[in-house]
Amino acid sequence: MSEFKIARRETDNIHVLELKGYLDAHTAPKLEEAFQTLLKDERYRIVVNCKDLSYISSAGLGVFMAFIEDVRKNQGDIKLSNLSAKVYNVFDLLGFPLLYDIVPDEAEAVRRFFDATRPSR
Amino acid sequence: MKFRRLFSLGSALLLLLAVFVIDLIRKNVDPEVGGLSIVRDLMLVGAFIQIALVLRAVLAHRAPNPIRKLGLALIATASMLLTTMLLRMAPGAGFDAKNFALLPLDYATQFAASLLGFTFSVFGVIVILLLAELVLFKRKRSTLRNYRIFLVLLALTALSTLTLLPLESSVVTGILFGLAVAFAIINSFRLSWIVYLTKREKVFSLLYGFCLFGCFTVINIIIGQSGPTQEALLYYSLPMKQVVSLACIFGNVYFGMTFVSTLFHLPTAEAFERKTTEISSLHNLSRLVTQVFDFQELVETVSTMTLQVCEARSCWLELLHPFAGTAPAGSSAAVAAAGYHVEVVGMKNITTEEIDDLLSNRRHALREEVFAGRKPLVVDDVRRDPRFAHLKRGSTRVASMIVVPLISHTGPLGILYVTKENEYGFFKDDVDVVSAFADQATVAIENSRLIKKSIERERLLREMMLAQEMQRKLLPQSLPDLAVLDLAALSTPAFEVGGDYYDVLRIDDHRLGIVVGDVSGKGVSAAFYMSEVKGIFQSLGKLYPSPREFMIKANEALADSIDKHSFISLIYVVVDLTSGTLTLSRAGHCPLLLVSGGTGRYVRPPGMGLGLSRGATFAGSIEEQTIALREGDLCVLYTDGVTEARRGDDEFGYDRLLETAVRAHAGSAAGVKEEILDNVKRHAEQEAHDDDLTIVVLKWRGGNGVRHIVSSLAETVR
Repeated sequence: MSEFKIARRETDNIHVLELKGYLDAHTAPKLEEAFQTLLKDERYRIVVNCKDLSYISSAGLGVFMAFIEDVRKNQGDIKLSNLSAKVYNVFDLLGFPLLYDIVPDEAEAVRRFFDATRPSR
Repeated sequence: MKFRRLFSLGSALLLLLAVFVIDLIRKNVDPEVGGLSIVRDLMLVGAFIQIALVLRAVLAHRAPNPIRKLGLALIATASMLLTTMLLRMAPGAGFDAKNFALLPLDYATQFAASLLGFTFSVFGVIVILLLAELVLFKRKRSTLRNYRIFLVLLALTALSTLTLLPLESSVVTGILFGLAVAFAIINSFRLSWIVYLTKREKVFSLLYGFCLFGCFTVINIIIGQSGPTQEALLYYSLPMKQVVSLACIFGNVYFGMTFVSTLFHLPTAEAFERKTTEISSLHNLSRLVTQVFDFQELVETVSTMTLQVCEARSCWLELLHPFAGTAPAGSSAAVAAAGYHVEVVGMKNITTEEIDDLLSNRRHALREEVFAGRKPLVVDDVRRDPRFAHLKRGSTRVASMIVVPLISHTGPLGILYVTKENEYGFFKDDVDVVSAFADQATVAIENSRLIKKSIERERLLREMMLAQEMQRKLLPQSLPDLAVLDLAALSTPAFEVGGDYYDVLRIDDHRLGIVVGDVSGKGVSAAFYMSEVKGIFQSLGKLYPSPREFMIKANEALADSIDKHSFISLIYVVVDLTSGTLTLSRAGHCPLLLVSGGTGRYVRPPGMGLGLSRGATFAGSIEEQTIALREGDLCVLYTDGVTEARRGDDEFGYDRLLETAVRAHAGSAAGVKEEILDNVKRHAEQEAHDDDLTIVVLKWRGGNGVRHIVSSLAETVR
């Protein structure tokens, strides 16, 4: 039941985590580990693609909360993309859209990273 | 039992006395007269059979150990020899031999002969009984058979002389006597008890055997020669004379064999003794496997016994303590790489410094080597072994050692080191026994750890039960019973304790606050936050009657204590009982379900969860909404345990919840609550209940008589 997988990709120095399956209290440590690895390598521009994420519990949401502060302190961000209606509803219920950049697709998320950095250069 | 013995002894005594009286009367009469001699002999035989029975019972518990039996035999034999010598000096004219009969010449002779006959007969019985116990030690089937044949031959020899006169002899008796002697010799090869003696006992056995052999030889010479002693015995009783002769020959041969056999066993005594120690130590250790409550004691015993079994100089144990994740601070690189740290325990005759000197930096390599090999490593000569090249000449007294891995089915547990001060100190059997020993120790240590773990688990379980009890007390013990508002609530944790929360608070005389919340995560940490929320609600609820304001203040109150990946979702409704309105704010929680006029809808004012953000962002997100209640309106507050109850991938969901509530809305609050719970359970019947679940149902009864309502609220809600 608690099948959960993470695939990691990199495009243009932006790191994409593709989540698949159920993200709950049992599988949350996996995601936590993935974020920890990214932060250790000082990768702060992160997109989480939730195309195949079928369920997220409050413990799963907590993982995002745990890292956002550190990531933003380092001029990075965690953007969420491709959320299914059901998963989006969970995020929305808690008010995550107020805190996170949640966009329809991954390309848009990547583009936003560049939009944000270009004016500052 | 005692009575029977007394009776046997009494009857034997009476018989003997009778015989003595008969002898006195017919002092000068030929024994052949009137067949009286047969009766007399039978009486004597009967008497000694009784005596034998009593003696057997007495001797059976007297000397459990073969050496003590030999001692007893020696005392008896020496006494017998002494008695014989003394009686030979007794005054008397002797016997007159006439027609194969012996006639005492005076009463002194007769008396002395009777006494000697009696003593010798008792002695014969004792010898046979003692020999029986020695012969039958560790008996086989043939042992008992051979011994019984000897006894039967002995009896037949004795009985064959019943009709004979003292100085007569017959071929039959001769043949039987010869056969009996042959079986005495055969039985004399049964000396298995010697093997089990300790070295000290063997020395005693040698000594006793020699003395006994000597005494019996003298006795046999005395009774074999024609002389006063032989005459006395022949006169006393011909059958008993046969018994005595055979017993003495048996004793002579047996103890002769004892002496010789012990002599041959003496050189191997030490080895045998060692084996016995090994076996008994192993046996003790296997018993130790069950004594696992005191780990220190266990380790102590293991090392003490190791020293004992192979007579080693010193020994110690290394126990591995695996750690999860990263190595504890201050541990060496080798330790970090190995994934365990090592504890040295049960040191015997060696200090930590000596061990450090001996093993130095080779410790880890040595360990890896024995764990890889999974069998004991024998170092015959430490000073010449390449593994110990780091040792300086004369820096250690250890000359040879065994390194035995303790490996359980879960992996390496530790290592047992055993050392000696001579090179090539460990033979193959030492290695075998230490290995066997190590296996037992492994099981014991493993068990001890498991028991410790399970005790710990038991304790935790109890703590959790207590926590559950405490948490249940944090939820309202009863709900206010109001005329205008019907309330029902239920909360069940997924584990022992949970993160769901609901509460009811009287804000003032006409307003009632009802809150439902869910702390992120489950279990103990969630339970702690839940109790914190309870405190916040009880204290801030009255101060901030506006749900929105309450949420903002609660968020501030929580901000300092909540950790960054936790958050709390709350929904807070304030029901004004006089105006019939319901005001709510939602902080990231599931929307309120409202069924009004037979149709249901979700009421979802915006608002983010508590603990997600501070200050303005949070305050900006929270809104407040007011609903005018109509008679029969139904409100359902719940946690995601309801909507996320799953069957496979299919969640119970908002639609089913709404349908259920609409279908049941005509009933009481409790009825609606039950209906929802039933449907959720039915939906998720195959799945384990894996989320906390809370349902609070409000049903507005409405109607007039506000004043009455207010007073009832004041009474019931404290």
